[in-house]
Amino acid sequence: MVATAQASDLAFSGLTKLFGTTRAVDGVTLRIAAGEMVALLGPSGCGKTTTLRMIAGLIEPTEGDVLIGGMRITRTPVHRRNIGMLFQNYALFPHLSVAENVAFGLQMRGMRKALIKPKVAQALSLVQLGALADRLPSALSGGQQQRVALARAIVIEPTLLLLDEPLGALDRNLRDSMQVEIRQIQQRLGITAVMVTHDQEEALTMADRVVIMRDGKLEQVGTPEEIYSRPTSRFVASFIGTCNFLRGDVIGQEAGRPQVRLAAGGQIALPSPANDQKEVLVSVRPEAISLSAEERGTPATILQIVYRGQATHVHMALDDGTPFLAFLPNRDGKPVRSAFSTGDRIWASWSPDSNWAVSEA
Amino acid sequence: MASRLSGGGGLVTYLLAAAVLVFVLAPLAVVVAVSFSTAPLAIFPPVGFTTSWYEEVLANDEFQSAFIVSVTLAVCSTITSFVLGMPAAYALNRWNVPGSRAIEAMLLSPFIMPILITGLALLQFMAMLKLRDAALGLFIGHVLVTLPYLVRTVTASLKQVDRSLEEAALTLGAPPWKVFTKVTVPQIVPGIAAGCLFCFMVSFDEFPLSFWLSNAETMPLPIFLQNSMTKVFDPSIAAISSLMILTAAAAVIGLEKLVGLRRAMSV
Repeated sequence: MVATAQASDLAFSGLTKLFGTTRAVDGVTLRIAAGEMVALLGPSGCGKTTTLRMIAGLIEPTEGDVLIGGMRITRTPVHRRNIGMLFQNYALFPHLSVAENVAFGLQMRGMRKALIKPKVAQALSLVQLGALADRLPSALSGGQQQRVALARAIVIEPTLLLLDEPLGALDRNLRDSMQVEIRQIQQRLGITAVMVTHDQEEALTMADRVVIMRDGKLEQVGTPEEIYSRPTSRFVASFIGTCNFLRGDVIGQEAGRPQVRLAAGGQIALPSPANDQKEVLVSVRPEAISLSAEERGTPATILQIVYRGQATHVHMALDDGTPFLAFLPNRDGKPVRSAFSTGDRIWASWSPDSNWAVSEA
Repeated sequence: MASRLSGGGGLVTYLLAAAVLVFVLAPLAVVVAVSFSTAPLAIFPPVGFTTSWYEEVLANDEFQSAFIVSVTLAVCSTITSFVLGMPAAYALNRWNVPGSRAIEAMLLSPFIMPILITGLALLQFMAMLKLRDAALGLFIGHVLVTLPYLVRTVTASLKQVDRSLEEAALTLGAPPWKVFTKVTVPQIVPGIAAGCLFCFMVSFDEFPLSFWLSNAETMPLPIFLQNSMTKVFDPSIAAISSLMILTAAAAVIGLEKLVGLRRAMSV
């Protein structure tokens, strides 16, 4: 078993990076608990990679501080930070064997050969690559290479594990299993970890908390469930998964629930009191919606029906032209409701608990 | 890379490559053939077979000293270019040096300057400084023309090094100088080797600079060759030329054995 140094918490306050006049990262403040895995998620150019590289020390912040275990490390050079880092292209040393790659960090720490050998073997067996110790990285598949990189990063018992789009170059199936594998190892070792990704599923799968970044700022921070079911903005709701957005006016309260008359017709309730605003934007996830030929709920016209294996996606237009999407689960690979066809007029309904008011931006 | 070209396009490529090889190598083959000729003048086709021209040349004191001058000059220029060019190329590529583009352009400028003029200018400059030592003048001049080759090839290979390798090494606790020796250098060894080979060959073969800067005591091989030719054009000239070709071939083969020339030339 590879042990870790005492897990430390990570914090950054007012972290800012200017490239010329562009504020790539703009006053980011966040605290990450010891042993926690946080995913920085956002579109390209949102500042997530720059933030990660400032934590690593590969970029110097313009303003703000990085603290590990309460210690300010903002000006500590990279090689004295004791971090393990995974890169998108694995960054294995091509002239060294798998075992030599894993041993590199220990050698840099001046560890004796006799001590290095068992540690390397342990780390490689942790990622199930003990048999390939003498190979060169070029003889390994992408997934194996990233496993070697993981072994190389954790063998030094880092206080912090940083992952820069670690699975971006792998194909879908391998990515899914590697997500679970990396997550398991991170949890088992209890390493504080920060991951950068633009893949929302990866963030939801691997992270304790997801940080949505936009234009260098934090847009929303929360558990995967909070981010998915309680997005604060239209940006977050549409970035994580797929979402329908409905415009409406609050017309009153009923049993503590604000009633919203939709611009597209029909009336829905919000699950919790909205702030005093009159006009609201309501988000509804497509999987929450059921469709019926009976006149119940919000009327819509079917534009297109797409079979997607585990679900059938029904693309619709509401009466005011608002696009509307429903995911109907399939059973045994067959659509539960196959009676609908393109051009049909149908009624969509969903539970008020599925409604969630978001900000416009 | 190792795969063969096929089809009509492949045939054209092979024929073209063969034609280029013939055009480049045929004159060299003529020289080598003539060097074994028994005729008293360098004529083609050669007559008979003898190695006496080689014996004569190798026994010649002037040839020996010219050969030693050339090899010493080439080795010293190569080492000096390496010592000066490596840090220059590294700094220009990895550090935020103000005016780095101007500095790089200046370092590479001997590429585009007419070397004959550079040599004349250098001669006048050294006369001004009262530097009468031909060996020193040749050394400075040769470094001037070989340095760009090293800077160019090392720069090219540094640009190909994946920066994340160096970053990974840093995160693993390697201080910058160890990142350089343990990670960067192993990636650019072929480029360094190719650069050094270029330096050696350029210096060994250098004529226009040496033409101005050499004197009777310190005379590199190409100047000696030219001097001999103006006296008598017998197959010993061809023998000297063949020995130069042999030295070049030895350098290329040595590099191939050391680091693999195909890798070295891939930059």
